[in-house]
Amino acid sequence: MDNLTNLLNGFGDVLTPMNLLLALLGVTIGTAVGVLPGIGPAMTVALLLPITYGLEPTQAFIMFAGIFYGGMYGGSTTSILLNTPGESSSVVTAIEGNKMARAGRAAQALATAAIGSFVAGTIGTVLLVLVAPQVVKFAISLGAPDYFAIMLLAFAGATAVLGSSRIRGFAALLLGLVIGLVGIDRVTGQERLTFGVPQLADGIDVVVVAVGIFAVGEALWVAAHLRRRAAEVIPVGRPWMGRSDWRRSWKPWLRGTAFGFPFGALPAGGAEIPTFLSYATEKKLSKHPEEFGRGAIEGVAGPEAANNASAAGTLVPMLALGLPTNATAAVMLAAFTSYGIQPGPLLFERESSLVWALIASLFIGNLLLLLLNLPLAPAWARLLQIPRPYLYAGILFFASMGAYAVNSQPLDLLLLLVLGLIGFGMRRFGLPVLPLIIGVILGPIAERQARMSLQLSGGDLSGLVGGPVSYVIYAVIVLLIGWPLLRRYVVRQDRERSVVG
Amino acid sequence: MTSQPQDLRGGDRAQYGVCAFLALVGVLVIMDAARLQDVATSNDPIGPKPVPILLGALLLLVAALYAVDVARGGHGQAEAGEDIDPTSPVDWRTVLLLIAAFVVNIVLIDRLGWVISGALLFWGSAYALGSRHHVRNLVIAAGLSLATFYGFAIGLGVNLPAGVLQGIL
Amino acid sequence: MTILVAYVPTPQGEAALRAGVHESRLRREKLLVVNTSRGDAYADPRLAQEHDLETVRRDLTELGVDFDVRQLIGGRDAADEITDLAAAEQVSLIVIGLRHRTPVGKLLLGSAAQHILLDAPCPVLAVKAT
Repeated sequence: MDNLTNLLNGFGDVLTPMNLLLALLGVTIGTAVGVLPGIGPAMTVALLLPITYGLEPTQAFIMFAGIFYGGMYGGSTTSILLNTPGESSSVVTAIEGNKMARAGRAAQALATAAIGSFVAGTIGTVLLVLVAPQVVKFAISLGAPDYFAIMLLAFAGATAVLGSSRIRGFAALLLGLVIGLVGIDRVTGQERLTFGVPQLADGIDVVVVAVGIFAVGEALWVAAHLRRRAAEVIPVGRPWMGRSDWRRSWKPWLRGTAFGFPFGALPAGGAEIPTFLSYATEKKLSKHPEEFGRGAIEGVAGPEAANNASAAGTLVPMLALGLPTNATAAVMLAAFTSYGIQPGPLLFERESSLVWALIASLFIGNLLLLLLNLPLAPAWARLLQIPRPYLYAGILFFASMGAYAVNSQPLDLLLLLVLGLIGFGMRRFGLPVLPLIIGVILGPIAERQARMSLQLSGGDLSGLVGGPVSYVIYAVIVLLIGWPLLRRYVVRQDRERSVVG
Repeated sequence: MTSQPQDLRGGDRAQYGVCAFLALVGVLVIMDAARLQDVATSNDPIGPKPVPILLGALLLLVAALYAVDVARGGHGQAEAGEDIDPTSPVDWRTVLLLIAAFVVNIVLIDRLGWVISGALLFWGSAYALGSRHHVRNLVIAAGLSLATFYGFAIGLGVNLPAGVLQGIL
Repeated sequence: MTILVAYVPTPQGEAALRAGVHESRLRREKLLVVNTSRGDAYADPRLAQEHDLETVRRDLTELGVDFDVRQLIGGRDAADEITDLAAAEQVSLIVIGLRHRTPVGKLLLGSAAQHILLDAPCPVLAVKAT
């Protein structure tokens, strides 16, 4: 099969001593940063991205794949060892994992998380290999209007499903679209929103936006409300599992993978839903339901697998369509564009060796993660002893380093600060961050697709809708946006009826 | 769940500031778009103006709807987290000190180089966040900036300026 | 008048606790056991966990000592907390545990013990882990 050859070539590219070293470095740094609480995988990837700038694209992506999976695994380690987890996709792992750790079974919890992540990551990457080319084939048949519709779906998904209120999500999206507007208009060469500042002609780099909003914004927000609280430290030995642990874990791993992958691939699917679903399923199917809530190993195995499979799933739309479904994928997309690589269905054709090297390094990174983290878990636990002032000073330090490294412009640092303040404001007033990032990344692409569609239709607005795919997508968008309003209306009708009748 | 954070109750008014900000951005975008030349070619029927104008208009609309939502008592959930103590008021001193440390780095990075200005940034941030081991922080800061300079700039080819220390490092 | 023990869940802290109990009986004074942490880090090995404190309370009850156990997390250094508390509570003796430090360790890291010795408003008893 053609793709198998491509994949094997990819492995060939990755399995050189230098590249393996880079993969190892990526996995280590990714895990170390991912372990630190309050730093989710998206921020880990955003902070560490500039490290890869000096490297060749292939090498950069190899290191990057390691950072990606490493960041996720680091987060699960923390949620097992600490009382409360760092980010939402680890919430479920913490429920059983932390209880297991307190009962003295930290080693087993960590082991099942690590091995489950490996199994799910591997299967997920295999599915990626199988599914992505099919999606690419379908995607190539799409025209500019269909693409435009997909972009609008991504916008609708980010604002309608997430966030506390849709008006705030929409406001965040608009801010992101405006930020994406800054720079020279590709088609006519005119400058937009640059206000005469020449360095802004190239636009505001997405990495600067991501690091500013995520990292700096978070650091400023935490600084404003720093809470002094030391959580319990749980002593950790080498992770390992007994035979019954293995027996109880392997089916949840597989089921978790089955849950996670599809949700990761859907826009606005995310990792929270599949982990909750996995937890609920494992509780129902378990032969030891009374253990749930007190440290049941299935409750760690399933959700962890779901988490990792979801991450692999997000790569399908990202690589095949250029569509990010969560914050981490959005940052990864930024990585692609910063190398001048245009994501989208033609990616597989134009940069075939690069994409397959990336996929191969996902497999390798996954394996390295397993080999690394089983013996190193106690070391990661010690990272939790770093005092918060150093942690957040470090975040600001690395954020500045990264932002400067993009273009060697101090202006980028100023932008970083401004964006950090915006991120601070957004956290203060409860505006969700994801729509903003999606707006920054997809805005320019959406505009280009819209203008291309109108070019094809000769300026006729009906050119924005074309082909059966776009009809379906627009219907979905209407449903997404309309559903809550509809539901409120229906509820009000019911209430009126019950009052009357 | 948790007790209503003090911030949010008073912040209902502050949200109007957000609406004002959104409206201001909307006006800016529209003003900037107005000075664009309307270049419509067969290749590009609508030109560069429509999207900014559309976004500006939407921003104004959202600002209005948002204000209505605030007037009706709606408020966003201020982000909670591991390290957040939501009942305490905003610690402006810390935030302003952090911003100051950041600005120092912005101003000095090209002239003095990453090693010095990055170390200042780290030290200043640690100080702002309450760490009182000043000498120890300076050692750590210098170590970090040197390590990242050698490791990333020289090792991996990341662009970090040597500044004043050019030639010494 | 009270005896203040700076407690840490380590052999040194246990030694300090035992010495404190001994002194409390000798002087017939109340025992105040205090565990402090800056609360800066997520995991602080010098912070006594709930079960540590439970064990301490149980042991002291069994020994029939008049005691109080407190845990202070206030963003301040242990030395400051202890010395301030000693001044506020009319403490007649502070008991601390001493750790062996390498020369480099003495140079790089601050010594809470040294600060307490120098700043305490009352006598200080420093014990080593046996």
